[in-house]
Amino acid sequence: MGFLTPWFLAGAVAVGLPIWLHLLRKHKTTPLPFASLKFFEKRTQSSIKHRKLRYLVLFALRTALILLLVLAFAHPYMQQQLLPMQRSGVVTVVAIDNSLSMRASDYLAQAKQMAKSVISGLVPGQRGQVLAFGARVQAMSEVTDDHSSLNAAVDSIEASDTRTSFAELSRSLRSIANSLHLPLTAHIYSDMQASGMPANFNDLRLNADVKLATHPLVKSAPANFTVENVVAPRRVYDAKKQRVLATIAGYNSPKSTKKVTLELNGREVESKSAEVSANGRASVEFFSMDVPYGRNQGEVRIDGGDALPADDVFYFSVERSDPRPALFVQEPGTNASLLYFKAALEASGQSAFALEPATADQLANVSPSRYSFVVLSDIGALPASFENALKEYVRGGGNVLITLGHAASGRARVPVADLPIAGASYTGGEGERFQSATSLDPSYPSIQKDNHWEDVKFYRAIRVQPLQARVVGRLGDQMPLLLDVQLGDGHVLVFSSTFDNIDNDFPLHASFVPFVEQTARYLGRLDQGPPSVQVGSFSELRDSKEKGAAVDVMDPKGERVLSLEEATKAQNVQFTMAGFYDIRRPNGRNELVAVNSDRRESDLTPATPDSLQLWQNTASGTSDGGGGSAETQKPLSLWWYVMIAVLLLALAESLLGNRHLSVDKEAA
Amino acid sequence: MLQRFLDPATLASISGLDLVAKTVVDGFVAGLHRSPYFGFSQEFAEYRAYSEGDDLRHVDWNVFARTDRCYLKRYRGETNSQLLVMLDTSASMSYGSHEVHKMDYARFVAASLVYMGSQQRDAAGLIVFDEDVVNYVAPSTRQGQLFRLLHAIEEAKVGTKTDIAKPFIHFQNFLHRRGIAVVISDFYEDPDVVVRTIEPLRYKGNEVILFHILDPQEIHPKFREPVLLVDLEEPAQSLEVSPEYAKNEYRVKINAHIEALSSKARGAGLDYFLMDTARPLDEGLREYLSVRKGIL
Repeated sequence: MGFLTPWFLAGAVAVGLPIWLHLLRKHKTTPLPFASLKFFEKRTQSSIKHRKLRYLVLFALRTALILLLVLAFAHPYMQQQLLPMQRSGVVTVVAIDNSLSMRASDYLAQAKQMAKSVISGLVPGQRGQVLAFGARVQAMSEVTDDHSSLNAAVDSIEASDTRTSFAELSRSLRSIANSLHLPLTAHIYSDMQASGMPANFNDLRLNADVKLATHPLVKSAPANFTVENVVAPRRVYDAKKQRVLATIAGYNSPKSTKKVTLELNGREVESKSAEVSANGRASVEFFSMDVPYGRNQGEVRIDGGDALPADDVFYFSVERSDPRPALFVQEPGTNASLLYFKAALEASGQSAFALEPATADQLANVSPSRYSFVVLSDIGALPASFENALKEYVRGGGNVLITLGHAASGRARVPVADLPIAGASYTGGEGERFQSATSLDPSYPSIQKDNHWEDVKFYRAIRVQPLQARVVGRLGDQMPLLLDVQLGDGHVLVFSSTFDNIDNDFPLHASFVPFVEQTARYLGRLDQGPPSVQVGSFSELRDSKEKGAAVDVMDPKGERVLSLEEATKAQNVQFTMAGFYDIRRPNGRNELVAVNSDRRESDLTPATPDSLQLWQNTASGTSDGGGGSAETQKPLSLWWYVMIAVLLLALAESLLGNRHLSVDKEAA
Repeated sequence: MLQRFLDPATLASISGLDLVAKTVVDGFVAGLHRSPYFGFSQEFAEYRAYSEGDDLRHVDWNVFARTDRCYLKRYRGETNSQLLVMLDTSASMSYGSHEVHKMDYARFVAASLVYMGSQQRDAAGLIVFDEDVVNYVAPSTRQGQLFRLLHAIEEAKVGTKTDIAKPFIHFQNFLHRRGIAVVISDFYEDPDVVVRTIEPLRYKGNEVILFHILDPQEIHPKFREPVLLVDLEEPAQSLEVSPEYAKNEYRVKINAHIEALSSKARGAGLDYFLMDTARPLDEGLREYLSVRKGIL
């Protein structure tokens, strides 16, 4: 027997109290005169002895009570021998890696074969479970002693395009052990990729009652090449041939020459050779991609012959459509702003928009709704009907850019935005000759690419009161330069100067081009998006206005991903395999999404044996794969037993003490 | 309020036995006058010629008006009788568990009796005894008799052991006239011996009252823990007693003794009254008066 808190045993000195009360402190036998002892008999002495004996019983109870209390505080325990060897109720978990890397060679088939041999080695009645793991863990069977169903579960495992996550597997094993409250023996069949190990080793920890047996299928890393990445435009708006940049990577590979092929819609566009250094990378550029109208499937391939063919192709999608019109309204006789704006748009390579110029007197029958965005360049007077139509257009989600100059200075307010105009600000001969933009909000979309406007000279600007508008930029005298007013679902962007190189020299600066491009992209809601996403990522299917509308998603095999019920309710969809997903959204806009596997799976380098050993050591027992445990001892706490005894003794002491007390009370 | 003056604890605070006696008797008498059930006998007995010094309150003024002569009314109870108080001063009488010991209580009773007797013109006398007669004041109605008696009572000291037989042999010699003999004692003696010893007093036509004085602790002893008791009359004798015995067996014995003494005394024609020293004195006095009334 031992004690968890042995220093409390020092409290045993408290037993001196009942010893003093009952034994050391003698009964007071001070002689008491009495009238006559005539009616007292000698046998009273025997009653004294009887009384003493009863007191001794009380003394014994109190002493035992104190000692037991001290014992309870010292928290005694006893070593309990655990049954050795056979751990009754142990559950065998077979986890098979079905990530992309397991497509290499015949790894998956080997893993299945080895798992089945373990299942066949289970004794009748012994329970097991089959798991498949990649980025997530999938339970292929329940915990059952039906070994045939376990084998069937193993057979049903198919290779996936996901990456490996041993941390996710460890989490699932912990969860299984906690829910079953039974010892587990986990057999892991995997290529044990080093890239599957988590950054934080603590994520691999296992419960104390889990025995881990790893079965690496790969002893040394085979050579593998992959198309690591492809840079291509997501959308094109003209017939120009597009540039495609592909990166080829080699892992555990010697120096090699690989043939790289660009395909579009299944047809070869171009092939080139790439010299890939040992364990290195090479880039290949294609300039001849001619994108037809509509949605197109692009692929970059390398010739195979390596360990993992599944990563020798990289998918991307590219969509061609006509440029969207944008309305540019200016005063008659002025052309400079349009020229500079259009030149900047073309210089940026942005071909998504086609500017349509118009003057203020031509707006009577113009409906702004057909335009991606509208630019009002220093407009003096605007037809009321058009201004109202513009306000409705903005409230409905459209965007307007308004520049203010000489013509606008006579107005009391900014059209559409309804911001008060306080007058024009001129820089004169006395004092500074120009102002500069001193504060710009770098988070604003128009300024994100380039916010270095320090050299831009502003000679005149219109003083606008911002009211509730967001002030994106200010001049040196803190006058707002760029404001954003939200009206309904749309925005009005107000520039307090012009683009005509008169009130300022902004069009002459390099920052003008990215400003115009980003502003056009922002106003036109041009969402370029990446040409491809990774397996395991999600895509939003609807916004709040499309609630209840049906969405259709077809996977690379041509099968529907969503059920009928999910089609009207699902908010997003996860891409689980590499290839092209066809998403048909409620608003009629169809989208082709290219999905590629995580290229970390391409590095087939296995984890070091030390790492695997450390992982096994986070669980108890040895890694002998299912043998019995050695005889162990477990401390059994005796605290409860001691406290029950204390309770019983306290009860007896109070009963006996009460009896004596009743005599004393009467005496008092 | 009257009861307060009969409370032994209150009486113990009064210095002077004469004052104690006066307080007791006057208070007792006053209580009797207010009570519809009790009272002096006011039955007219005879006229007596007025002598100088007599109390004018008892002059019958109707007779004086008719005859121009002063006559005093004399009532029943004023007839001279003899009262002999026998006070036990053995060592056991010195016991007390509260501020009034048995001896003090016995003195109060004796003093009150002789005071009441002198008020009623009885010839009161006193015998103080333990194992022998210690003091004797012959009954008399002479002037100063009360003070002699009170002084004798006050001077009575705790003596030796109890031996009721020896003194009572001498009592025979002191009783010359019929009267009332009051024995004040704790009677730690065999009831048969007590009755046999005292009974002869009855044969001479005396009324005998036994006032059995006991302390509450003697009647209902209560001890918190075992005690070593020492006999007051025989200090060499001691005994350790347990509270349980004192609570159980002893009480049985003392109650049996009291019951035996009471029944044997009454059976012998003696009046018996148990007096608890914690209780007021009026009950004992009432007992005396009822006996006196019976003989007169």
